[in-house]
Amino acid sequence: MENAYHYDKEKVEALLWDVIQQQSTDNGLAWLQQRTANWKTTAAVQQFNLTFTAIPRFLSKNEITVSPETATALRHLIDGYTIHGYTLDRLARVWWLLQLPADDRKTYTQTIENLFDAAEMNELVALYGALPLLAWPEAWRLRTAEGIRSNIGIVLQAIMTDNPYPARYLEEPAWNQLVMKAFFTEKPIHQISGLDKRANQPLAATLTDYAHERWAAGRPVHPQLWRLVAPFINDNNWPDIQRIWQSENSIEKEAAALACAMSPYEPAHTLLHQDKALQQEIKDGTLTWDALAPRC
Amino acid sequence: MTEKDLQPLSYSPAYLDKIKGMRFFDPHVHMTSRTTDDYQAMADAGIVAIIEPSFWLGQPRTGVDTFRDYFSSLIGWERFRSSQFGIKHYCTIGLNSKEANNERLAEAVMEMLPLFIYKEGVVGIGEIGFDDQTAAEEKYYRAQLELAKEAGLPVQIHTPHRDKKKGTQRSMDIAIEHGLDPHMVIVDHNNEETVKEVLDRGFWAAFTIYPFTKMGNERMVAVVKQYGSERIMVNSAADWGISDPLAVPKTAALMHESGIDTNDIHLVTYRNAITAFAQSGQINEADFDTVRDIDQSLKFNGSTVLRGGQQPRVNKNSTIIR
Repeated sequence: MENAYHYDKEKVEALLWDVIQQQSTDNGLAWLQQRTANWKTTAAVQQFNLTFTAIPRFLSKNEITVSPETATALRHLIDGYTIHGYTLDRLARVWWLLQLPADDRKTYTQTIENLFDAAEMNELVALYGALPLLAWPEAWRLRTAEGIRSNIGIVLQAIMTDNPYPARYLEEPAWNQLVMKAFFTEKPIHQISGLDKRANQPLAATLTDYAHERWAAGRPVHPQLWRLVAPFINDNNWPDIQRIWQSENSIEKEAAALACAMSPYEPAHTLLHQDKALQQEIKDGTLTWDALAPRC
Repeated sequence: MTEKDLQPLSYSPAYLDKIKGMRFFDPHVHMTSRTTDDYQAMADAGIVAIIEPSFWLGQPRTGVDTFRDYFSSLIGWERFRSSQFGIKHYCTIGLNSKEANNERLAEAVMEMLPLFIYKEGVVGIGEIGFDDQTAAEEKYYRAQLELAKEAGLPVQIHTPHRDKKKGTQRSMDIAIEHGLDPHMVIVDHNNEETVKEVLDRGFWAAFTIYPFTKMGNERMVAVVKQYGSERIMVNSAADWGISDPLAVPKTAALMHESGIDTNDIHLVTYRNAITAFAQSGQINEADFDTVRDIDQSLKFNGSTVLRGGQQPRVNKNSTIIR
């Protein structure tokens, strides 16, 4: 049989449980254990759903702390996965999702889809954040694309940032929507997992059009946008790079320099040579897209 | 204090003086998500008629029945509610682009659409087109263009927020491919980057004055100065977001201040929209006057817009009522 989980589920589950155990009250923990026992004996989906929705009533919404060891272990088990910044109830919901038997793909996906359909904001955040952990990963592509259509900021952020699922599983058009929408909704672009790896020509062209629209409207353009254009600099978009290079805004000029450094386009290298200081900073690794991010 | 004391006072902001006596038509506003206060302010600012395009309610619907109820409300309760403020309400009916991506549901909605497009006051198929520009969106866009062609109704196109230029071009290409006359197609949410091509190809170019995300009205003034008033129209697309149902009269006032000719203002804030959507055979300007003779003591299926103790606002002639 095909594997339902594409990672070591037992180990991830155990790590998450440790965090929950350490940071819950005795009452909260007792409740969750009682619900788990009940679920294991009844296997009634109604009970599963009930626990999923009830979790915040019994477990706090306080932000959890994650030890560096746990963080590293999780990142190794699922490349790029993190629970940093999670609240306890969100983490418990993710853990609870791992209690759903995944051997029957149809029943499993239907149960999770039903949770999505009836979810409120915080449940959506938990569900979309759990995408990298859900069984049958290929089954969530459409759901993820649907999530990107949401207009709820925290829901979008749960999909877009620190979430390795989209980069790994989304088709190119849906991936491009995610990146574009992240710019539109002003999400922290540098926190999109797999951002550079999935840069592509159509996305670069679209983002360039978007930059033109922003300029026409007299609005600023996010400097990280050029990060996605950089590998595809050509005769058409070269005037745009020159424009930001000449910008009075130093962040824009730095973005132009970074874009030039990333680009195989010859005139870009010639331009970069004109500013030895910036060129050196890039060489030294002191000027990177991530280093630029907090100032964008 | 009684309910009567709580009724908003009609006051005249300065910009209203500049457009005194002018009539406005907002061809794109989602009143379902607005309050009665908005209707009052719109009437006071000279808006005499509106079009409410079917759209997304902010979160995806999960069943066909909620679509049915929504469409019914556009031609039922909402039209009545609008009439209670002296504003003639029309709508366009369609499956919006975002929800076209739920194919199971989209199929069911497509089956239902023919039941609604010939209802009284339905002035087109809309708003349809692209959001993410997916294959599913294209499929249902094409299907609805066919429906519009068969029904002889104008089409109101929503152009995407993201990748707008390409989405706009693609929407027009497909409309032409399906044999629609550009004069029957209103392309909405234009900006400086799309307007030229839309006008050059003979389509109607609608502009949405919507803070932050679409057009600002200073930019709109510049567009009219550059492109004139032929086939251009202004709307608010006011909805559940941060938006302004008075965007059309405010833009008219700004145009006036900027020295744009009164006749051009009249065309882009009133006449052009009527010309475009009247191709449905559903707009009779005489109705605008009839609906102004409002009587808020009327009821719709036993319901009224008035809440306990409120005095009905009965307007016979004047725009401003206390």
